[in-house]
Amino acid sequence: MSHDEASDLLGAYALDAVDGDEFAELEEHLETCPRCRAELDSLREVAAAMGNSVEPLPEGLWSQIVLRLPERQQDEEPPPMPQLAHEGRSPFRAPATGRMRRRRVVVSTIGAIAVAAASVAVVLGIGLVRADNKVSNLQATSPAVAAALRAPGHHVVDLESSSSKTEQAQVVVLPSGQGYLVSSTMPSLDKGRTYQLWAIEGNQPISLGLLGGSPGQAAFTMAGSTRPSHLSITAEPAGGSVFPTGPIIATGTV
Amino acid sequence: MPRIDEMSDAQLVTSIARYNEVALAECYRRHGGAVFGLAKRVLQNPTDAEDVTQEIFLRLWNQPDRFDSARGSLRSFLLAQAHGRAVDAVRSSSSRRQRESRDALRTAEADYDLQREVWDLAVADQVSQAMGELPEEERRVIELAYFDGRTYREVAQMLNQPEGTVKSRIRNGMRRMRAVLAEAGVRGADA
Repeated sequence: MSHDEASDLLGAYALDAVDGDEFAELEEHLETCPRCRAELDSLREVAAAMGNSVEPLPEGLWSQIVLRLPERQQDEEPPPMPQLAHEGRSPFRAPATGRMRRRRVVVSTIGAIAVAAASVAVVLGIGLVRADNKVSNLQATSPAVAAALRAPGHHVVDLESSSSKTEQAQVVVLPSGQGYLVSSTMPSLDKGRTYQLWAIEGNQPISLGLLGGSPGQAAFTMAGSTRPSHLSITAEPAGGSVFPTGPIIATGTV
Repeated sequence: MPRIDEMSDAQLVTSIARYNEVALAECYRRHGGAVFGLAKRVLQNPTDAEDVTQEIFLRLWNQPDRFDSARGSLRSFLLAQAHGRAVDAVRSSSSRRQRESRDALRTAEADYDLQREVWDLAVADQVSQAMGELPEEERRVIELAYFDGRTYREVAQMLNQPEGTVKSRIRNGMRRMRAVLAEAGVRGADA
């Protein structure tokens, strides 16, 4: 395909409206023609602008995505830890070598202990899922939760409000470190706020991820070495925090 | 490095390459609604659009290196992927779904922040204005190709026009749009 022929087709190509032999020939030309690639990039921006129509996301879609994320190989070399900083303090540094898996979340300290532990960084494997529909007490709506509740060695953690002593949420944790938020009665937060789940280990909170503003069910995993004494939930700005900034909404002993 | 919600899209993709699931969640929060919105518009079916959305974010997780921030914004990259996947699905279905006349580009509330919402609204506004300024015959062929997922040859057949004419109209219309949008200062959503 000549350059001019290719150039004529780029508009249609940017709309995914080229097929068959022409498609193959055009792709071949693009491999070797930086001018056409640049033109295509700019036309794709136009196409994206036309197609930029934001819709509310269906509930539970994120959970489905997370449950399909592939596990990494056990012997896979961990990539370097991105440096994170928060509000001028830099309590994070690269973790010690060792068994690190995907899903890493930086850990720091909470409240008063923040100062003492500010220079400590711990990184553990964590995953987290946006919650689904609300469920009643330990009623498993997802197959994964149902399986967890039947699995040997599982235990259930009740998270209570420290002030009212009423149950706010229930979590089931498996010996493998896989866990699920099974139910929640926490009130919906304003837009721009999200619940965040933390494992507390040796006075250090480890983010297990964001639960959204009105959580129901969620899945998370903890690295095998994590032995939290408590699980806690705080309310944080949307997007979450690298360590807790809001009050503890609910906490439970593991 | 800033907090996760303060990271640029490019920084998020770098974190995804390091298996940072929270970074993927943030990308989903920022762009999931747009990916889903475009897939739904092309597919005319929310369930199929959910499948496409899942696939796009799983692909981002598995192949983050396919995004090159020098070649455009993450939003554009994800939308191009979503569109390609959606038209594949449309073309593979044996009977093309009945398509009803559609609303104009619409934006809806989603779980993303005000700054991006404002950006999206502004772009939607500029884009519909730019599309409105196109000659009718150019706008028509672009819409049939992009939103109905038809090839330009199918469009030519539908409209009983020469393929070369349709091809040129798409190209000219797209270039015209690009010029108008550039003048209006619209470019990719740069988080």
